[in-house]
Amino acid sequence: MRTKLFGVAGAFGLLVGTTMPALAHHAFNAEFDANKPIKFQGTITKMLWVNPHAWIYVDVKKPDGTVEEWMIETGTPNTLLRRGLTKESLQAGTQITVDGYQSKDGSLRANGRDLTLPNGQTLFLGSSGTGAPDEIKPKK
Amino acid sequence: MNDRSSALLAFLAFVTALVLVPQPIGGQTTSGTRQTTGGTKSAGARATAKKTAPVQRTPWGDPDLQGVWNDATSTPLQRPGDLAGKDVLNDEEAAEFQEQTAHGLTRDRRDGGRDADVNRAYNEHWMDARRLKITADHRTSLIVDPPDGRIPSLVPLSPERQKARAARADANARFNAGMPNTFHDMSLPVRCIIRTDSPPYLPTIYNNDFHIFQSPGYVAIAPEMIHSARIIPLDGRPHLRGDLQQWLGDTRGHFDGPTLVVETTNFRADDGVVFQGANPATYRITERFTRVDADTLNYEFTIEDPMTWTRPWTARIPWTKIDPGEQMYEYACHEDNFDIVHFLTGARAREKRGETVGPRPAGAAAAGER
Amino acid sequence: MADGHPDLNGIWQAFVTANFDIQDHEAQPGPHPEIMGAYGAELPGQSIVEGGDIPYQPWALAKKKENFAKRMTVDVSSDKTWHASGDPELKCYMPGVPRATYMPLPFQIVQGSSPYILVAYAFTSATRTIRMNWKGDAPTDAWMGWSRGRWEGETLVVDVTGQREETWLDRAGDFHSDKFHVVERYTPASPYHLLYEATIEDPKVYTRQWKMSFPLYRRVEKNLQLLEFKCVPFTEELLYGKFRKPNGDVK
Repeated sequence: MRTKLFGVAGAFGLLVGTTMPALAHHAFNAEFDANKPIKFQGTITKMLWVNPHAWIYVDVKKPDGTVEEWMIETGTPNTLLRRGLTKESLQAGTQITVDGYQSKDGSLRANGRDLTLPNGQTLFLGSSGTGAPDEIKPKK
Repeated sequence: MNDRSSALLAFLAFVTALVLVPQPIGGQTTSGTRQTTGGTKSAGARATAKKTAPVQRTPWGDPDLQGVWNDATSTPLQRPGDLAGKDVLNDEEAAEFQEQTAHGLTRDRRDGGRDADVNRAYNEHWMDARRLKITADHRTSLIVDPPDGRIPSLVPLSPERQKARAARADANARFNAGMPNTFHDMSLPVRCIIRTDSPPYLPTIYNNDFHIFQSPGYVAIAPEMIHSARIIPLDGRPHLRGDLQQWLGDTRGHFDGPTLVVETTNFRADDGVVFQGANPATYRITERFTRVDADTLNYEFTIEDPMTWTRPWTARIPWTKIDPGEQMYEYACHEDNFDIVHFLTGARAREKRGETVGPRPAGAAAAGER
Repeated sequence: MADGHPDLNGIWQAFVTANFDIQDHEAQPGPHPEIMGAYGAELPGQSIVEGGDIPYQPWALAKKKENFAKRMTVDVSSDKTWHASGDPELKCYMPGVPRATYMPLPFQIVQGSSPYILVAYAFTSATRTIRMNWKGDAPTDAWMGWSRGRWEGETLVVDVTGQREETWLDRAGDFHSDKFHVVERYTPASPYHLLYEATIEDPKVYTRQWKMSFPLYRRVEKNLQLLEFKCVPFTEELLYGKFRKPNGDVK
């Protein structure tokens, strides 16, 4: 007999449920506004490979020609490092599409919900275009 | 010397040599370095060896736990309500359980509306992929005792502790609304004081890595977050006197057969130092580390606090060796913790616009952060 | 050790006052003597730099003096200028190499039979892993750098690159760039002390390679252990106090 485990998919909840302690993460909606989604294309000027969050600085050209500098918050770089990426993996000048939510205080800061390259590829998932090495293991 | 004497001397020399020179037994060396089973053994000896597999040992004879280990899993700490009474799943159930939990946990989903979506930052490749897998033994909870797989109920808390819990819940509510008053409203992990380096070690969304080092008389466990190391003396010395308190407590260990048994006391009394608001003065945690095979270590912890829970409780989490292919990297935290300022200046900006934090709903989780 | 190499296990500590200034320095009042009096004074010491002086390029010597003048200036209101001023030690940031070696707190070496040696510092519970005979470079920069070790006879040689450029070498404002390269040598000199040497180069900042050296002493007290010096809570008011809610909770 097949045991039905859950009535509803997602019974475990999104982040924590009973799985992990509350330190799993502070709630993003504390800082970022679900009612202020953003989606734009821009040019990466630099990436800070730091903890607890890596930051990608993106220049965005507005219709009137002015340039806004956005700071995009991302995850821990250590996960990427274990997949073989390095601080050279994201070159300044790379075009990026940012899909995320703006900071509640209105500043030019957003969490990077989904970051993609012009060809639609998710940033840091593939290996072409960014110079990101694919699954390079540390040499011993 | 005549022939008979020579022969006798030769025989005696041979016997002496047999006695004095260590002889390999059943294919194993006696040098104390990493041992492997093998060599020629009788069926009876093989059966015995299977029950008590030889322990990998360091050159100085301690069980070898050295390496970089990962403890990520989707198996929940507590058994879900609809699996009550079922501590282990069969293969088919386990596959479904794993798939459903993974679906609940994956960050690549974009469904459920914007409130759900904003909280799912960031995509899966920023997360530890191992946390979408249940434990190999198909248990339905990490807790193995009590048998219901749940944290025991609380004893009635003193008015002082209830007040402290309520204050912490209020602070959490302000923080979760994005309107903290000061840095004190933030949890110890957000302030980068302690994170997953605070025992018990529990899996989280990323950086579930621990580097174990050993030397004669010591085991050192360095969790990735936040770059600290618990250096554990094995020489039987007493704990620090009670007036010396530390964020990660004070740890002493010894080997019991293949198992490193570790006890930690002397925790600071600050909020969030011990698990879920337990009482630091009466809280006791015992952890056990047993290497099961080349790639697996069993981590087990027992927590008791008669001022908090009605009985002790125990959980077991398998750790997987990931080095040399994968490494643990520095997790500096406080050094670039820009979000502390973002939260505080953001709150001040929103207050200027007239925003306020509503009252915390009655009954909202008081325990909250570790 | 079983592999034939020297056993560097133990708790070690430097007894120089180089954390104030790695060059010759007299006793002097520290910050806010009107409050701190003799408590805050800076202890005197002789240079641990072989030859006496750090060979700064002219621009860098001026920068060092600017660092010193602003060593107590802390302003984290903007991410971009978060690290622009202030001694990282004041802010309880990890000190990097070689400064961690001469902080006035002990550290412990855990050397076993794996390809890694742990060095754990009491200061802010900083740790570093020395990867023995490792070929790969640092994938990104770290406050404690990226350490590759090897044995040369009785000496543990540790090659450190990939260190965050924001670390300082002392409270006097001595600094480096992202081209900082340190080669440490730990050589047993007796059962109770090691000779520590660090050869330093940074083509952006110094005119040539230079070297520091001093002994490290084994702490021999019975049952000694590293006690926590988690200083983050000591810095939060300094860093974040001014962003608190006005007239709100004082705590």
